[in-house]
Amino acid sequence: MIHHVMGVDGSYPLLLALWLLPLAGAVVCWAFGPQLRNAAGWLGSATIGASFILTLLSWGAGTQSQGGALGAHQSLLSWMPGFDFGLLLDPLSLLWTLIITGVGFLIHFYSIGYMDGDRAFARFFAYMNFFVFAMLTLVLSDNFIGLLVGWGLVGLASYFLIGFWFERPSAVAAARKAFVMNVVGDVGMMFAIFLIVAHVHSISFGDGFAAAGTFGPQALIAICIGLFIGAAAKSAQVPLHTWLPDAMEGPTPVSALIHAATMVTAGVYLIARCAPFWNADPDAQLMVGIIGGLTALMGAVLGCAQWDIKRILAYSTMSQIGYMIMGVGVGAYEGGVAHFFTHAFFKAQLFLGSGLIIHALSNEQDVRRMGGLWKKMPFAFIAMLTGVLSICGFPFTSGYFSKDMDIYGALAEHHVGLFVVGIVTAGITAYYMFRLLFVTFFGKYRGHVDPSDLGIRHPELAGTALPSQAEEVHVAHEPAHHHAPSWIMNVPVAILILPSLLIGWLMFGGDSSPWARFFAPEFPGGPEGVVHPSTFLNEGMTSVIVLLVVVVGFAIAYWRYATKEAQADAVARLRTESVHMPPVLTNLFYFDAFYDLIVVRTSQLFGTIFGRALDPHVVDGAVREGVFITRWAGVFVQSLQTGLVRAYALVLVFGAACFIIYYATIGGAH
Amino acid sequence: MIGFWILSVFLIASAIWCVSARKPVYSVVALLLNFAALAITYVGLNAEFLAVMQIIVYSGAILVLFVFVIALLSSGVAPFAAGPNRLPKAIAPAIFIVLIAFGFLYYALRDSSVTLNVLKGQSQLGPVGTAGVFGSVADFGKALFTVYLLPFEVTALILMVAVIGVVLLAGDQTPYVPTQKHARQVEREMREAILKGGER
Amino acid sequence: MTVPVVDYVALSSVIFFIGVAGVLLRRNPLVMLMSIELMFNAANLLFLTFARAWVNNAGHIFAFLVITVAAAEAAIGLAIVVTVFRTEKNVDVDEVRALRG
Repeated sequence: MIHHVMGVDGSYPLLLALWLLPLAGAVVCWAFGPQLRNAAGWLGSATIGASFILTLLSWGAGTQSQGGALGAHQSLLSWMPGFDFGLLLDPLSLLWTLIITGVGFLIHFYSIGYMDGDRAFARFFAYMNFFVFAMLTLVLSDNFIGLLVGWGLVGLASYFLIGFWFERPSAVAAARKAFVMNVVGDVGMMFAIFLIVAHVHSISFGDGFAAAGTFGPQALIAICIGLFIGAAAKSAQVPLHTWLPDAMEGPTPVSALIHAATMVTAGVYLIARCAPFWNADPDAQLMVGIIGGLTALMGAVLGCAQWDIKRILAYSTMSQIGYMIMGVGVGAYEGGVAHFFTHAFFKAQLFLGSGLIIHALSNEQDVRRMGGLWKKMPFAFIAMLTGVLSICGFPFTSGYFSKDMDIYGALAEHHVGLFVVGIVTAGITAYYMFRLLFVTFFGKYRGHVDPSDLGIRHPELAGTALPSQAEEVHVAHEPAHHHAPSWIMNVPVAILILPSLLIGWLMFGGDSSPWARFFAPEFPGGPEGVVHPSTFLNEGMTSVIVLLVVVVGFAIAYWRYATKEAQADAVARLRTESVHMPPVLTNLFYFDAFYDLIVVRTSQLFGTIFGRALDPHVVDGAVREGVFITRWAGVFVQSLQTGLVRAYALVLVFGAACFIIYYATIGGAH
Repeated sequence: MIGFWILSVFLIASAIWCVSARKPVYSVVALLLNFAALAITYVGLNAEFLAVMQIIVYSGAILVLFVFVIALLSSGVAPFAAGPNRLPKAIAPAIFIVLIAFGFLYYALRDSSVTLNVLKGQSQLGPVGTAGVFGSVADFGKALFTVYLLPFEVTALILMVAVIGVVLLAGDQTPYVPTQKHARQVEREMREAILKGGER
Repeated sequence: MTVPVVDYVALSSVIFFIGVAGVLLRRNPLVMLMSIELMFNAANLLFLTFARAWVNNAGHIFAFLVITVAAAEAAIGLAIVVTVFRTEKNVDVDEVRALRG
């Protein structure tokens, strides 16, 4: 059997080191947390930073090309034939590794300031380092099993970090919800991998992809569906998306790293990595594209109805990942991956910027209780503004280039419906992101307004400071009394502003852009490389249309929240909007209610049936009968155990006598 | 023939003495006599190596061990004097059982015509002690270390297990016998240790 | 002069049953152990008799192994006696009933 190895085989100590360093950091932070104290933060950040530098040094290895093999392949261990484990660093995994370690380093660094004073400071960094290790395992594996292991470990790390503040019941519930949903995805993915291994007798990517054309249509669509269930659960695609907004219970850096920049884009990675499977099955591609488009639209619509700053960003994440999934689904792999790349920067920046606000306001997350912050926190305002511009696709910011690649990719692949959905979503995105910006930073500070006047129905929920706390908050945070975020938190945000504004230029220039050349060997014949004569719009025209829709979205947001009258009347207007929010939006399209009814209630019903009827009477009854019989037999046999050694000897002699009699009479006569 | 009968009488008599003696020391002496007579019988059966082994291992090692234990346990107290001797009562049923057993044996071997030519055996089998002759030490050793090497090695294992068992049983430390009370105390101590560790 | 095998078998049986009687009737564990040694030796006598009768030294090997096992048995048996005596101060096997169910 010929093995198809995807990279240039060799020994790459740097690759091993960058993979294992975060694990070492996690173990040390975990084991020596009490001794390290605040040094844990610096240690955790340093390991990720070192990993990032090693990644940069491995650039040449990752982009090398030799006789059809692309990237670096390091063998780890061989098990049975076909079960070889190793690391693969090719342009795709190199890109992910750069983001994981680079953005990961900035977020770790930021966390030193954000988590300062937390009781479990070292534990936080142990988990974060562990997450980075798990994510690197996911993207660097050269086989499906390693991918699945990484897939499960990032889910575990996510569970740990969402439930980091485990004193809060809501955090525990959110962690559990995220874990269960992710396991649903893991199981789907597992079955897909079973099918692949059963057919190919090998776990390596190379063998699987080489055989993509030989699976037969049913097996192929089953594999694609299984893999996509995994991708959808991890990347919060409809209908497995409900865990992502709840996951915002975790600390804000966690939301930035795991639930915005890296882990939730694992689904994009999976589909881009398994491109040969999707290319072999247009139906599966269409399914992915439709789900992606639907998620993009639904996330954007729900984002308009949220008041929690992190939940707004969570829905925008969901929506933007929908774009990516749509991009890779229609076959525009470079586009989907490009949007992942830019999104990692501007979304991390948005989350870290919101973290600055939340930190300064002592954990206030409800935008209705903010307002007028731009004067007090100009730096946070600039950070959020640039992030918002980028996510909306303001011309020549990075989001502009990558989002257009996705939208135009849908058109280039003749999915006009998805093209329209992409454009509409871009407009809605502009609306709710500017809504966030205006409500948070414009007008007057509303921290001391009574929650009910703002239409806040459940002030006791997380994300809203309790009334008793609110008094303290507002005493402590009278103008000019906000915590000045320390430089530790400002520097990473400042660094992130640059790529989120400028890095899109890498994608400028069509086929000759650095981006296209970087990925040309990985995805030959992508949308940028092929002429699509039948499209009725070219890329420039698409850009203009998107821009027009975005301006409309911005205008509506401005008209509703930023005009002079709106600012003056903000309290009443926010109250009106809160009270009159359509129930279908406040109930999040009833997904949670649906799951509650179908899954939770049904399970409870079965539990009741089994617990009340089956278990006590049938199972326990059988056990009780068994106990009775055993005890009765025991009482009988007990009387034989006299404890007299000589009685035992007598029985022994009797047995021996029986043997002698047998052999002397019947058995011995021959 | 006559030698066999003399030895038989001696063997049976010493065995009975061994089993019936009031004091265990007498039993040991009787057993010693029994083993010595048995060794002579073995020589008659062309098993001179085992005859020597009988003297060395049984008389020299095992019986000395018995004597040693008797000396150890009899110091200060006389634990062996207690209790009535029930042998006289049991003699009648014992003889009855033995007779029945002999009946069966006779029935089993009634057709046996195999005889052992004890005195003239040497002319058939060669001089005792010569290599290649049945029963010689050389033959025995060759068989033991070639065909029967595995059983021989396994006996080494058995002896080692025995040594470990003896050390465990009679060693200086009392064997660890966990009681419920003790287990509860250990559990409580562990819990306290854990709780104190948490306060740190 | 010849001795029939039956005679050896009979002699061995007599010694064996004397040993059995000792184990069953005596309550002194030391004497019981010695009776067991008697039974071992009766078995050994049979092994050697039949080895001689059929001119096959497998019987010798077996007798040798029996001696080894007997030595191990005696050592462990005596160790048990010593241990029991230490805890119970009594060497009457009828009084030691830790095996009682």
